[in-house]
Amino acid sequence: MTTRVEAAAGARRDLTPQPALSVFGTLVRRGMRDRRRAPLSWGGSLGAMSALIVAIWPSIEGSISKAVRSYPRGLKEAFGIGELNNVAAYLDAEMFSLIVPLALSFFAVRVITSAIASAEEAGHLDTLLAAPVSRRVLVASALATAAAMSAVILAVLGTASWIAGAIAGSGLPLGRLVAALVGVWALAMLFAGLAALATGPLRRPAAVTAVATGTLIAMYVIDLLGKIARDVEPVRWASAFRYYDSPLADGLDPLAAAGLALTGVGLAAVGALLLERRDIR
Amino acid sequence: MFELEVGSDARDTVSGPVTPVIETAELTKTYGESRGIDGVSMTVEAGEVFGFLGPNGAGKTTTIRTLLDLLHPTSGSARVFGLDSRRDTLRIRARTGNLPGDFAYDARLTGREVIDLFARLRGISDLGRARDLAERFEADLDRPLAELSRGNRQKVGLVQAMFHEPELLILDEPTSGLDPLMQEEFLKVVREARERGGTVFLSSHDLDEVERVCDRVGIIRHGRLVDVEEVADLTERAYRHVTLEFSGPVDAAEFAAIAGVTELERSGNRIAFKAQSNLDAVIKAAARHELVDIELTHPSLEEIFLTFYGEHGPR
Ligand SMILES: Nc1ncnc2c1ncn2[C@@H]1O[C@H](COP(=O)(O)OP(=O)(O)OP(=O)(O)O)[C@@H](O)[C@H]1O
Ligand SMILES: [Mg+2]
Repeated sequence: MTTRVEAAAGARRDLTPQPALSVFGTLVRRGMRDRRRAPLSWGGSLGAMSALIVAIWPSIEGSISKAVRSYPRGLKEAFGIGELNNVAAYLDAEMFSLIVPLALSFFAVRVITSAIASAEEAGHLDTLLAAPVSRRVLVASALATAAAMSAVILAVLGTASWIAGAIAGSGLPLGRLVAALVGVWALAMLFAGLAALATGPLRRPAAVTAVATGTLIAMYVIDLLGKIARDVEPVRWASAFRYYDSPLADGLDPLAAAGLALTGVGLAAVGALLLERRDIR
Repeated sequence: MFELEVGSDARDTVSGPVTPVIETAELTKTYGESRGIDGVSMTVEAGEVFGFLGPNGAGKTTTIRTLLDLLHPTSGSARVFGLDSRRDTLRIRARTGNLPGDFAYDARLTGREVIDLFARLRGISDLGRARDLAERFEADLDRPLAELSRGNRQKVGLVQAMFHEPELLILDEPTSGLDPLMQEEFLKVVREARERGGTVFLSSHDLDEVERVCDRVGIIRHGRLVDVEEVADLTERAYRHVTLEFSGPVDAAEFAAIAGVTELERSGNRIAFKAQSNLDAVIKAAARHELVDIELTHPSLEEIFLTFYGEHGPR
């Protein structure tokens, strides 16, 4: 009988939870590896579009400024096309006022949704959360994965645009380009945080996606209308796009960008607390 | 004192009474209006294999998921290793291996990637045991989970549950989907885990399987723990359905007279009855005639429940 107990003591390992930071790092590395194609698919396609726009600027410069001068004022204000007399303003109007911020925010929302809500629906969380992984570390790692992968995608996009500008001699100012990339990244973090918040009370991935992307589109519309309609102007403050503004055309407001990103982190933190309080189904 | 528990001497040699590995007190979980489990109180001792037996929807998975803090109890509490199932869940989970009822993980990952990930999460660098287990279960670790059959995915799940040699294994219907050969191998692995001093808590529909590997069995039905028994006692009470077919007519009275034989029926050269414990006498009686066929079947779980526990709990 004693031999059995001794054997047990010999075989038994000292199993204690890993430090939260180590678990976090493992999950982020895994998450990034799962998204390893995103820089090519998302960064590549957005980068190709931006590069094309930057590259053709020198050849259309003259005609476009003339055309813009003839647009109605309201339209120009709404879409932030004050004066389309430089490549930064042109790229901003074509890509960075709608497509890029929308695409990146949508990407970040997807990363969060698949790591939490979809994983729960598919039963993966039953496996993951039976290991010594806390729910707050799960949420933090999803947010960090979204942050890191968004940054990589934006880096690809920025590099492609910069190279195209250098080759075509468009005179794209690097400082502005970086400002725009940072601005988009901060905006995407806000919506990632919003998605993480939604996974607190909501279980179905479709519901989480609907809340996050619905808010995204609503905020865009509010900001758009706020620029042209006096009645909507007072609620523009509630739209994240108001703080994103047009960093490519006008430069970055670092405080606004930090505010967006930190709000995203705060929302995710609340989401993590809500997730810890509820059942995993 | 000494006849209280089988194997209690082995546990007490270390340092007096040992804390139970699992201890639940009036553990209750409701899903909104509908019942999950209702006032489950049980104790699983260190070093035992505890079977959790019950039909579909009885509450086995609910109990297990509550122990792992995936579900929060509506009322009552659970302690694992003497730790609170909610507050100390990470420490509990670090010392536990779990196979969920329907094992699933990111289907794009291969078994090896899944094991690697969980090894990192658990801080295990030696994967020798994982290789061992994969070999024994013939688990294919090189293909993405998406390409594996249900049984083969289950094997990856088993490796994932056991590779870190935890003190406690919590396995939700571990043999479902495994072929008979693998079920056999699994039962062997469970026995070895016990020999190393581990504790195993496994749920099952299969009385036969539970009898073969468990020390004690908790029987759950309609969310309530209706009975906890030593397997030896359960086996003693168990009966078999016997069907004998002879080459010619045989006097049924000969079998009806054997102690423990009930519900005898005869049709042509075929005799069917229930035999409790006294199988030796049955076989010896049958051997006096020319047998064509013999069939011995175990009663189904539902039948056992009806026989021993009636419709609403223990008789
Ligand atoms: N997510 C849920 N929402 C509502 N009711 C649930 C949920 N999960 C389980 N139940 C109910 O709780 C009860 C116990 O279910 P549980 O899954 O624990 O049973 P089980 O013993 O594991 O059954 P099985 O052998 O089929 O796996 C059932 O009546 C079931 O309908
Ligand atoms: Mg179940």
